[in-house]
Amino acid sequence: MMLLPCPWCGPRHAGEFRFHGAAGTRPDPATTTPEQWRRYLYVHDNPRGWQTESWYHSAGCRRFLTVERNTLTHEVRSARDTQLDAAPNAAEDAR
Amino acid sequence: MSEETVPLARSPIATDPTVVVAGWEVCARVSTAPLTLSDETPLAKVLVRAPFGGAARDALGVSFGRTARVGLGTAGEVLLVGSAPGEWLALGAPGTAAAIRAALEERLAGTGEFVSVLDLTHGRALVRLHGAAAPVVLAGVCGIDLADHVTPDGTALRTSVAAVVTDLVRDDDGGVRSYLLHCERSSGQYLVDALRDAGSPSGLEVTGFRGLVPSSA
Ligand SMILES: [Zn+2]
Repeated sequence: MMLLPCPWCGPRHAGEFRFHGAAGTRPDPATTTPEQWRRYLYVHDNPRGWQTESWYHSAGCRRFLTVERNTLTHEVRSARDTQLDAAPNAAEDAR
Repeated sequence: MSEETVPLARSPIATDPTVVVAGWEVCARVSTAPLTLSDETPLAKVLVRAPFGGAARDALGVSFGRTARVGLGTAGEVLLVGSAPGEWLALGAPGTAAAIRAALEERLAGTGEFVSVLDLTHGRALVRLHGAAAPVVLAGVCGIDLADHVTPDGTALRTSVAAVVTDLVRDDDGGVRSYLLHCERSSGQYLVDALRDAGSPSGLEVTGFRGLVPSSA
């Protein structure tokens, strides 16, 4: 069983979340070449170790989270609200 | 049709025998068992969405993860639930959804924030699991720590209960453990079946509509 520490809901079973893959910036479709777009869609690093990922807490707060997870050990060293990343105190303010 | 008919609302949860309360067909059973499950779907359910941590939160007076009983004038007393960041659920007496919506819209109008208030009464199912053994039943179908120091009375959270996304609200009644479980209407019957399965070793019995517990209780 893998627990994810949701910054809103506390530690929850990974089955409550939807995995959205490695977190990264989506290239601008207007200026991206088909090759760059293909790489963005289909070519992933798939590291053995630490990776920054995007998870959606679909059965909880319904927020997107940015999670640093070790793909080998499943250790999670940080989980933050993606939208609030720029304003880390906002989650505390909401309580 | 020449005769005027009064529409009758039905919960998604099958009941037998039935009785009509406030325009809703509800279960007529009365159980005196210490552990009961009641269908509370007839309660008015109004959803509020607004930015979290802003003026709307202050106007409502309830933070994420907590509940409060709030008087809404003519709409009466509601149980206001901070069900998610930027999301609140107001539960009131049957037939008061329109009044609750109007009262909440009026209360939030001055915030200047983008707020939506929506009547979900007929789109959701709501049940109450009541009795000291309620945590034992829930422990069989959900992974939340229901200990007093983790989830005290007045706690609201959303989680997976028997694989159904459910708002779990601890709303003790006269010092006895009591939980409201709120989910999509189409999952209501399944959730009840799962709770009855999990609760049968603890002697869980189905009882009729109880209504909202007043704050004086
Ligand atoms: Zn969450």
